[in-house]
Amino acid sequence: MPLLKAEGLVRRYESRQGLFGRIAHIRALDGVSLELRKGETLGLVGESGCGKSTTGRLVLGLEPADEGHVVFGGAPMPGPTTPEWRRLRARMQMIHQDPLGALDRRLPIGAQVEEPLVIHRRGDAAARAGRVAALLEEVGLDAGHAARYPHELSGGQRQRAVIARALATGPELIVADEPISALDVSIQAQVMNVLAEAQARHGLALLFVSHDLRVVRQVSHRVAVMYLGRIVEEGEPDAVLREPAHFYTRALVSAIPHPSRRDAKRIVLKGDPPSPAARPAGCAFHPRCAAAVALCAREVPELKPRADGRKVACHLAHGDAMPVRKAA
Amino acid sequence: MSTALAALPATTRKPRATVPPMVAFALCWIAAMLAVAATVQWIAPYSYTALDLRARLHPPVFMGGDWRHILGTDELGRDVLARLLYSIRLSLLIAFGATLIGAALGTLLGFLAAHLRGLVEQVVLALADFQASMPFLILALSVLAFFGTSLTLLICLLGLHGWERYARISRGLAISAGAQGYAAAVRQLGASPWRVYGRHVLPNIASTLIVSMTLAFPEIILLESGLSFLGLGVQPPETSLGNMVGYAREYLTRAPWILLSPAMVIVMTTLSVSMLGDWLRDKLDPTLR
Amino acid sequence: MLRFLTIRLLRAALTIVLVVTFAFIVLRMSGDPALLIMSADAPPEAIAAFRKSWGLDAPLWVQYVNYFGAILHGDLGQSMRDGRGAVELVAERIPATLALTIPALVLKIGLGIPAGIFAALHRNSFIDRAVMFAAVAGFTVPSFVLGLLLVLVFAVQLGWLPSGGQESWRHAILPIVTLGAGGAAVLARFTRSAMLEVLGQSYIRTASAKGVPWMSVVRNHALPNAAIPTVTIVGFMVGSLLAGAVVVESVFSWPGVGRLLVVAVANRDLAVVQCILLVVAVTMVTANIVVDLLYGFLDPRLRAGVKA
Repeated sequence: MPLLKAEGLVRRYESRQGLFGRIAHIRALDGVSLELRKGETLGLVGESGCGKSTTGRLVLGLEPADEGHVVFGGAPMPGPTTPEWRRLRARMQMIHQDPLGALDRRLPIGAQVEEPLVIHRRGDAAARAGRVAALLEEVGLDAGHAARYPHELSGGQRQRAVIARALATGPELIVADEPISALDVSIQAQVMNVLAEAQARHGLALLFVSHDLRVVRQVSHRVAVMYLGRIVEEGEPDAVLREPAHFYTRALVSAIPHPSRRDAKRIVLKGDPPSPAARPAGCAFHPRCAAAVALCAREVPELKPRADGRKVACHLAHGDAMPVRKAA
Repeated sequence: MSTALAALPATTRKPRATVPPMVAFALCWIAAMLAVAATVQWIAPYSYTALDLRARLHPPVFMGGDWRHILGTDELGRDVLARLLYSIRLSLLIAFGATLIGAALGTLLGFLAAHLRGLVEQVVLALADFQASMPFLILALSVLAFFGTSLTLLICLLGLHGWERYARISRGLAISAGAQGYAAAVRQLGASPWRVYGRHVLPNIASTLIVSMTLAFPEIILLESGLSFLGLGVQPPETSLGNMVGYAREYLTRAPWILLSPAMVIVMTTLSVSMLGDWLRDKLDPTLR
Repeated sequence: MLRFLTIRLLRAALTIVLVVTFAFIVLRMSGDPALLIMSADAPPEAIAAFRKSWGLDAPLWVQYVNYFGAILHGDLGQSMRDGRGAVELVAERIPATLALTIPALVLKIGLGIPAGIFAALHRNSFIDRAVMFAAVAGFTVPSFVLGLLLVLVFAVQLGWLPSGGQESWRHAILPIVTLGAGGAAVLARFTRSAMLEVLGQSYIRTASAKGVPWMSVVRNHALPNAAIPTVTIVGFMVGSLLAGAVVVESVFSWPGVGRLLVVAVANRDLAVVQCILLVVAVTMVTANIVVDLLYGFLDPRLRAGVKA
């Protein structure tokens, strides 16, 4: 049985222009289902605004789903800020993109790493101090950092502290939302390793949210590609990268710089992703898809497995329609 | 903005070698006033109600009086210096109490608005608008008309002055901290609202609130002395600075000295606290106007 | 534009409703009006009759609705002192107050705004320092102290002007100066900081870098933009034309609305207090609406936003 199971998650936001303006419904998530086992890393990729961060917040129960449900450890997710919800935080944690924003600049690092232990009443003061020292060591900080304040640390050190705080209560699930994209390129790999090692050592289920397909590939056991609030392709990272099935994934893969390939093969997408408020009918990707046929504008393709186990949401990839050669 | 905030603790920990002379003077004056307030029962030469009917309307030393009544006496022969010292204590006490009440009430309502959102937030904002758009003196006078005057009521009433500023500040900062910042992070660690607001949000916005308090404090002193001057604030036999000025008005021609010393103390105190507030604002919180 | 106006009017109405509700709540909380007005040892039947005749035996919400209805009909009760209508009492005091506050407002604007602009244009000059000093003094010297000091100097010592009363125009000079001086200082400080803020903007530097003469940069670019925040504070001053003279009227025994309010508060003459509260709220709210409309006129961005 999977540790985490999310089915048909829908999240709508209302946006209103002015006091009496018309209410626009924005479907940030439009039926997302995913599963995550103990010790498994699922990479979630897509452009900004595709709903990948919202997915992360919903599976943690930080905000309620408008439709669908989340099951964690065999039990349904309790509503936000209820006592059960609060207790459950010890078993699931989040790592944010901006470590400086996620840390309280008025408290020393040690106190902040200790805080989850205090909140969830783990051990006495001495035991907690020992645990904090061990956590700091685990993420590659030394005991001296405990007395420092966030602004006295480098960006990488701050993110290590955030990881240490997330690991404090020994959670089973961690959602990492773009954990390295705010960091200097030179230290991204180090922080990534800290996270990957912690994942392996503690057998964590990790939902890794990123816009960067290469980073996701390094750490993930499976990867899911999102477009406009839906998962359009899901499978093994190497297979997906080698042979992407969805035309959107192909465009993403071709955008990765590659020394042995010429730019001629790059697929450049036309236009910007449409706003979730004005989602195109049928396959949401069809206006930008080079191979789209009439069916794509009519019917929403379902995410279903192919013979090789890859899940794709595309009429053409399943052979439901024949691609048309278009003049470029 | 975030870089400015990040640089903040470093600048506040610098040695305070650069206190401008005016601010240093203001600090000395405030310290002297606090010392007077704390020790008045030992340093006052007489009780503030002690009558000396043989020395009525005695001028102060610098106007030809003698050293028994350094600042002179009023028409009942009460020592002006003694009354001044006791007035300082009561006026400061009222202003402190009212400032604290205003800050506590406003911050609480601001946090409630930020935490509960929805209707509660709209109500708090509507009340804040209402408060800001009415002259406070008129509201205060109306309440006094309905309830009569008492010291407790006066402190609570003046505490309502300026609550809307703290409410707006704390609501805004709590919302921005809860949206993506440390407060959201701590909440998802499983912290209770008490912990989020008490241990994290409040210490982070404390410097802004303290600056607002130093800016509100002189306004409250002026309000209290204004009400007392009108005879609607502190009631005899208690005495406050505004009270003394109101009393002095009756003897302006015969005994102008009764007016001068409380007037000077009011001006010096409000001046000192607002200079301190301006300086603190520039030092601690560049985000305030 | 129409929607903007509607929202503004709704908010104004809400403020008035809040004031009325405030008066109602405070009035009911302050004790049994029957016992307050009749003496405590009045016969119980008389008290019951009083309650019935004033509708005080009805449920609270009925009283609230009745109270509201009476106010809408302009019935604000009688003064407990001499039984005259509260509206009449307040109305006859308004001219006296305006005789002080309108000249004082002219003084504030005529002195404060030019001083503020001049100080900002000659930053750190002697005049700038003098304006700033006066501004700080204007805030920290309460009006009753300033008023009494002026009386001490000009009435008691020099004997040039009368110290109080309302017999001739000479009686109005000291109160007007007292009112105007403090407000002018506040306005000067405000105008100065608004000007400095605008002068620091890049479009000002761009305009002067293009070779536009400095005075026309100031006239065409800086002043209109600095006017926006200044209008707010002037609006508040206009709104408090009736309420802003409470203390000064008392200092100079000037028989205006403020003096009436103080006396009414001291005597707990609730009808009069409530009437003044309402009149002040209405002037304040009206001034706020005018300020908002002026905003739209002064700020083309807001004007465009309003149309969109």
